[in-house]
Amino acid sequence: MMALCQRVIMWWGKPSTGWIPTIILALVSALMVSLPILGLPLGRWFFSLFANPSIPLTALLFSWVFKNAFQLSLLDVKGIRTGWIFSLLAGAALYPMALGAGAFDPYPAGWHFSWLFVVLLLVTVIMLSLKNRFSGVLLVTILAFNLRLLESGNLWDYLVDPILVITSIVGLIVRVVKRG
Amino acid sequence: MSKRLVIILGILTLLAYAWPAWTRFSTAPLTSASFIPAPRFETATNHAPFMAQDFISPSSGSGMVHVGSICEIPDGQLGTVWYGGTREGAKDVAIFFSTKPQGMSAPWSAPRIIVDRASASRELNRYIRKVGNPVLFSGPGKELWMIYVTITVGGWSGSSLNVKGSRDSGLTWTDSQRLTLSPFFNISELVKGRPLALNMTGGNDNRNHFAVPIYHEFLGYFPEILWISVSQNNRNILYEKSRMAGGTSFIQPSIAPLNTQSATAFYRCRSKARHIAMARTENAGESWSSPHFLDLPNPDSAVDALPLSKNGILLAFNDSRNNRETLQLAVSTDKGLLWTRIHTLENSPDQEFSYPYMIKARNGLIHLVYTWKRKRIKHVVFNEAWVDQKLERTAKK
Repeated sequence: MMALCQRVIMWWGKPSTGWIPTIILALVSALMVSLPILGLPLGRWFFSLFANPSIPLTALLFSWVFKNAFQLSLLDVKGIRTGWIFSLLAGAALYPMALGAGAFDPYPAGWHFSWLFVVLLLVTVIMLSLKNRFSGVLLVTILAFNLRLLESGNLWDYLVDPILVITSIVGLIVRVVKRG
Repeated sequence: MSKRLVIILGILTLLAYAWPAWTRFSTAPLTSASFIPAPRFETATNHAPFMAQDFISPSSGSGMVHVGSICEIPDGQLGTVWYGGTREGAKDVAIFFSTKPQGMSAPWSAPRIIVDRASASRELNRYIRKVGNPVLFSGPGKELWMIYVTITVGGWSGSSLNVKGSRDSGLTWTDSQRLTLSPFFNISELVKGRPLALNMTGGNDNRNHFAVPIYHEFLGYFPEILWISVSQNNRNILYEKSRMAGGTSFIQPSIAPLNTQSATAFYRCRSKARHIAMARTENAGESWSSPHFLDLPNPDSAVDALPLSKNGILLAFNDSRNNRETLQLAVSTDKGLLWTRIHTLENSPDQEFSYPYMIKARNGLIHLVYTWKRKRIKHVVFNEAWVDQKLERTAKK
């Protein structure tokens, strides 16, 4: 919600950097999230449709909000692009098969320690060795899974979600078009 | 990133993965279970052939009722749930609960709503547009559970599953808990089949374990198993799922366990083949054979199978490729390959008799409930002596 508010303000051409505008924006966002619409707070409407936003999506949004508020990059351009590519690959590996293409379903691998965890551990370690900041997002992802911060108890839901995949596709297409 | 930060994050990463690894290798996975076969009853102890029937729900008038399920509730009575309202998927649809003492002379209690869209919305803390398919089941202890469908957006493919529990035979219920079973907005998971009680190898004895036949219908249509483990106070629910088959043809699995490891599953067929399909497991549901069609028709409607005492399987199904006007019972004595039709329960043109659901009670009686003309939920009770008699008479013909 805060990212949305920030986006609206940017469209108006009014920068909202600094502590005071950020705190005001956070309060306005919190107010909007708790605004009842047809008896249900707006945040609960979001939750009804999208109960498990992945950690990388949350991290990308948080990084974007933080950068606009304080002009500081938690995730640099390399980290964000790595996130897009990683999410696209994870989505491509998960969704077609989980939705019925073939007899194999990768989704159960996320319920408990499995090949998925080993792959993710290796990817995190490789990215760490390359000093890629997206490795920090992957570390937060497994910590969030251990703490069961989402409604889901499946690691896939902490790792990727449909909105993130769409965001990644759009982000990568925009980058390719700009390059062209 | 400094070298020191990389080393610290590396150590943190290894520690973060050590926790799920330790959990995984120190506890048995939910799928490492064995079926608890239904108790076997000799026909002689069940006296003479017996069959009786009554209606559970009162006439729904201009409304509809559908998808009944039945179980023995912990206080020794029978309990049923079904959904009903002005029409399927309407906003006023609620899930009803009714009980009765065992024995045909006692009437069913007045139906009581245990969940509707308002209460589901409140308990799940989110918008619920409608409720649907409920399945009621109990374990060896005092607990009673219900898994049911809710929809937030769209039709049946927008379904999600939820679980509620009761420790006082259905008088009061815990708040609903959402089960996250699909990575795509957690939609398109539904339930219809009878849950199977499980024995866990190396598991925690204080928990109740079940394999619940569920199915997915969105882009693909396929059968799955929900492996669920519930603590005795219903507060802690662990679950995962596995796929029985892929593709777009088979849904609503019904599983008949033949012993602790092997079972036969029967599927509703959505394809043009319009025949009931069957698959087998020899490792207590961990993996299933590819489905193959039986010589029994299926009009894209639910079937239900129940193991009998003498290694037989009883099947309730719509005996047509085109409609749900005939509800038939058949028996197989070769693990489901060949079938003998033994009794036509219903046969009425332009009417619907569907969604059979059977259990075998602890006293050996078989209880069958089904949707009767979409107006009422009908209950039929019989013993295995009646099944044997029907089978013998059919064989003599």
